[in-house]
Amino acid sequence: MNLPIETLVETYQNNLYAAAFHVCRNAQDAEDVVQDTFIQYLSKKQEFESEQHIRAWLIRVAINQAKNKTTSFFRRNSLPLEDYMQTLTFESEESSALFEAVMHLPEKYRIVIHLFYYEDYAVKEIAQILKLTENNVKVRLSRGRMLLRNTLKEVWEDDES
Amino acid sequence: MTNREKYKQAFSVLHTSADFHLEVEKMNQRRKQIKFKKVIACVAACTVIIGSATAAYAADLGGIQRTVQLWIHGDQTEVTVHFDGSGNYTADYTDPDGNTQHIGGGGVAFNPDGSERPLTEEELLDEMNSPEAKYLDDGSVWVYWFDQKIDITDKFENGVCYVQLVNGEDTLYMTVKFKKGSATSPHRYLSPWEFN
Repeated sequence: MNLPIETLVETYQNNLYAAAFHVCRNAQDAEDVVQDTFIQYLSKKQEFESEQHIRAWLIRVAINQAKNKTTSFFRRNSLPLEDYMQTLTFESEESSALFEAVMHLPEKYRIVIHLFYYEDYAVKEIAQILKLTENNVKVRLSRGRMLLRNTLKEVWEDDES
Repeated sequence: MTNREKYKQAFSVLHTSADFHLEVEKMNQRRKQIKFKKVIACVAACTVIIGSATAAYAADLGGIQRTVQLWIHGDQTEVTVHFDGSGNYTADYTDPDGNTQHIGGGGVAFNPDGSERPLTEEELLDEMNSPEAKYLDDGSVWVYWFDQKIDITDKFENGVCYVQLVNGEDTLYMTVKFKKGSATSPHRYLSPWEFN
């Protein structure tokens, strides 16, 4: 199956943006990644099994595109993360602190944490998207949580195993 | 509130910019532009290989001949260019060693209705002045654009190098695939899969 690009953009643009931002930590680069990801969808004309398959494919492409951005020789003159955060309206200080703490995690933990907590993917699904082993995902998830606990103390509860 | 709920609340602030949806309408148009570049690159690569033969053939056919100043490998060079009127050019110039060199290229552009048209003389001259990646015998790789010579030998990662080129008010984003072609855009770096 395939879905019209307009539907996918409407439904997933913010998910792709959030995923790309977790890698790039730069708003303009993340937006470029979203564009490139949808262009790739249009270009590939790949057949998908379901909407969930499309969603996972889009997220995987966005993450890979974002990684390419971060390793490119010349990067945009990016707005520092702290300055960008000033432009965002957080619901609480806790939210702001959590956002900042996640953004300061190493990239390999950030993206796994994001897929687990934001996209609600299971460990097995994250492993498929990132082409990692399930054990590797579990380790990254565990270490990411531990770092968040150390930084955020009581804001980040010890409620997942 | 669970960690998951806290996480979603914290990151719900991330949105694409307000005018992002407008960009979607340009996506198909952008794809056509990409195709346009791809065709030029392909045709140019083919005709460069048979450059000297094409030059003789084109001379017999008539067309328009112009002498222009072009930047070749970082040096401003007087070049005699022959346009065949069908979107192709051949050119002769004398290199710094005194040898006569033959080059050639050409291509087509796509009209909004999908039909093809030959490149104009001005478009061909733009192509001739476009950035070029050159692989030297000593293993080094250089990008030439106007009077600029940039050593990109050590800038490749996974076979791809991204170079931002600035000439006065013009900026180009160049993507170079090691020995597999290159592409430029004034707007963004083209992804390696988008060309060749």
